[in-house]
Amino acid sequence: MKQTDDLSDVIKLISDIKHKNIQSSHDVAIRTEKMLDNIISQGKWDSALELMELIKQRIKCFSQSLPDEPTASNIMKHILKVIRTECQSMSKKTGDTHSLHQIVTGDATHELDYSETVSNLKSVLLGYLSEYKEELESSAENIAAQASEHIHSNETILTVGRSRTVERFLKSASKQRMFSVIVVEGAPSYLGHSMASALTKNNIQTTVIPDSAVFAMMSRVNKVIIGTHTVLANGGLRALSGIYVVALAAKHYSIPVMVLSHMYKLTSLYVGSNDHETFNVHASPASVIPYSSGSILNSVNIKNPVFDYVPPELVTLFITHQGGNVPSYIYRLLSEMYHPDDYDM
Amino acid sequence: MNQVVGKHEKSDEIPKQGKQVKEKKIKSKPGNELSSNSVTSEQAANKLKEKELRKLEWEKKLAEQKLKNDKENLSKAELKNKRREQQEAQRQAKVEKEKITEKAKSQKPEEKNNDIRKSPQKITEVKKTKTLKCVQFVQHLYRESNQNFISNTVNPKDIHPVFIKLGVQYAERVILGSNARCLALLAAIQNLINDLQTPPKHEYCRYMESVLQCCTNYLQECRPFAVSMTNALRYFKLQLTHMDKSLTDNEKRARLLDVIDLYINNDIKRAWDAICMKVNDKIFTNDVILIFGCSSLLYRILIDANKSGKKFSVIVVDSRPLLEGREMLRKLVSAKINCTYVLINALSFVMKQATKVLLGAHALLANGSVMSRIGTAQVALVAQACNKPVLVCCETYKFTERVQTDSFVYNEIGDSNILLSVDTLSTTSPLVPLKDNPKLNILNLLYDVTPPDLVTAVITELAILPCTSVPVVLRINAKENM
Repeated sequence: MKQTDDLSDVIKLISDIKHKNIQSSHDVAIRTEKMLDNIISQGKWDSALELMELIKQRIKCFSQSLPDEPTASNIMKHILKVIRTECQSMSKKTGDTHSLHQIVTGDATHELDYSETVSNLKSVLLGYLSEYKEELESSAENIAAQASEHIHSNETILTVGRSRTVERFLKSASKQRMFSVIVVEGAPSYLGHSMASALTKNNIQTTVIPDSAVFAMMSRVNKVIIGTHTVLANGGLRALSGIYVVALAAKHYSIPVMVLSHMYKLTSLYVGSNDHETFNVHASPASVIPYSSGSILNSVNIKNPVFDYVPPELVTLFITHQGGNVPSYIYRLLSEMYHPDDYDM
Repeated sequence: MNQVVGKHEKSDEIPKQGKQVKEKKIKSKPGNELSSNSVTSEQAANKLKEKELRKLEWEKKLAEQKLKNDKENLSKAELKNKRREQQEAQRQAKVEKEKITEKAKSQKPEEKNNDIRKSPQKITEVKKTKTLKCVQFVQHLYRESNQNFISNTVNPKDIHPVFIKLGVQYAERVILGSNARCLALLAAIQNLINDLQTPPKHEYCRYMESVLQCCTNYLQECRPFAVSMTNALRYFKLQLTHMDKSLTDNEKRARLLDVIDLYINNDIKRAWDAICMKVNDKIFTNDVILIFGCSSLLYRILIDANKSGKKFSVIVVDSRPLLEGREMLRKLVSAKINCTYVLINALSFVMKQATKVLLGAHALLANGSVMSRIGTAQVALVAQACNKPVLVCCETYKFTERVQTDSFVYNEIGDSNILLSVDTLSTTSPLVPLKDNPKLNILNLLYDVTPPDLVTAVITELAILPCTSVPVVLRINAKENM
């Protein structure tokens, strides 16, 4: 195996994300795809095994630096799975017939030897990547196209903070239906304000409320439509803090909660609670209480967690570009996206 | 009797009587100053009172001018217009002064008075622009017309100056919290009792009732009454009607003052003490108590528990736009209590560490729902989801017969502009330029209603009760009062 890989491409990506040069997860996805394209077309690899090794190194590097940013790793894991399946389909020996017996007993006699040189793997993979790129670009559009199936006339929709996917979704629905949107401002980042201004400019009736009014308003809401940061393997969410309360209030009033998500947000990660050390990120307390508050800051413990864990039972539906899915079906989507060997890295 | 007052409110035709009333009030002023011991800073209060004295003098003069106007037949239509377009009343008043009177020129204080008057008017103007846009399902909560309010602030006839001051303090949220508002109201009524002189052929208590009605109507327009205030007022009125008619005015005054003192002591202050004791039994060493916002009762409870030597820590949950929790945090930290501070979005994060949730209440409704500052229901909801006990601390004088199942039937709407200013952000909100866009509403509700199934228990001065016992307590209290 050649050891000349310097990981400079992934380090550049990490630093761009850290310095907020690229912010939306969609941009991260596009960049990751480009990086993979480079590795496959110009990287030094002869066999599938070597290529997979190159990508795995990058996943490790990325997930160590940015454990809470799943998009890039997810896409790379997905490509790993694609490499495996392509190899499988090209090598004639492996019968594509997994018998039920083999699946049940987990008989591993069909382990492939990825170290063989496969001649046309590169062109096949590049072909798949360009297809995948198209899918990325049309994903938001596909999600938005389903809007009219979910939003009816005169409905009141509640959303939290700002999500580009949700924004597109609502805009697309507003072309056909009249409805009003309640935007929770989402302290302490107040992204709800920019969401509300974007919706207002699109002539959607918008009401801004503070985070504290969620329960009071929920009785008048028909649907909750939110974006998320990550979809966890059990169908739960890692989402903006404050969304747990929204989902809980929706449950209390039996109001459906719809989560719009791109496929690359699906993560093979199981987390059971939001105070788990690896789960949450803490932002600066300055956005909770200003430094100008004086000496009391010395003796107070101020917390500003970024994420909330939303258990799967509070989510009604996931809407991806492939259509709607319930949380209990996420495991299946996961196995379509990633190879089980790549779940833990 | 009521008719006379009613006429007087409207008319310029009986200016003599109006003058009489005002003169009485002015006469009563010095006594009031001497007796004022309840007000926080006496100097400031005295200054205000001086201003109010001048204000009253000025009103008298205005009334005289109106008389002149009538005599000279300077069009009545103009006067009517003035009453209608009350926003311009001031300007017109100024113009009139310059035109007509030679007397008025000499006195400078008038200009100061004008300044004082401008401030309440500004408030009402802000409110008016707000009413142009409203969220549909809370439409009924927006104040319909501010005409009356404006007319009363410009011409606050028959209203004791203490109430005018109180009204402005309510409207500008200087006095906040249902306990503080109730105590301030009772103090104002005590002032009124002292200052009120019975006109001939009137009975003190009956006259008191009608004057008080005017004052409270005015207060209602500044800000709707809290349940605590309504209950206290109802109690006081009951005592008024039951007053022995044969007593002299001074005896009646003394009795009424006693009634209020007794109410403050028994129903409010001793209730606090009793609740403090009861909650204290429930706080143990190493407890982590989660509280929401700033409640005067909760503050007392926590300080008491701290004094008794228990080691516990407090999580203060706060929410925009009032950010009362910061005040609570400041007080608790200065009492050396270990505190954590989060905004309401981090509720699920801190709830797991908490062992108990203590909440204050604005009112307890007869169906067991708790009406309290907006966000309380959310705290109770998350607490229940995390299996933490939710204890609502509420004096029984805040219990009410009203029933309500959602937060919209009865609520208050605050100023929406304060939601646009964020003190922790360096940039201004992108909504500021869109403020007047008809498609954009900003809703700032003040209260919400927590359903009874989210509350573990209510701690009152009588006992620790389930929410559903509210009607029982109401029934018993009503019997006692009879």
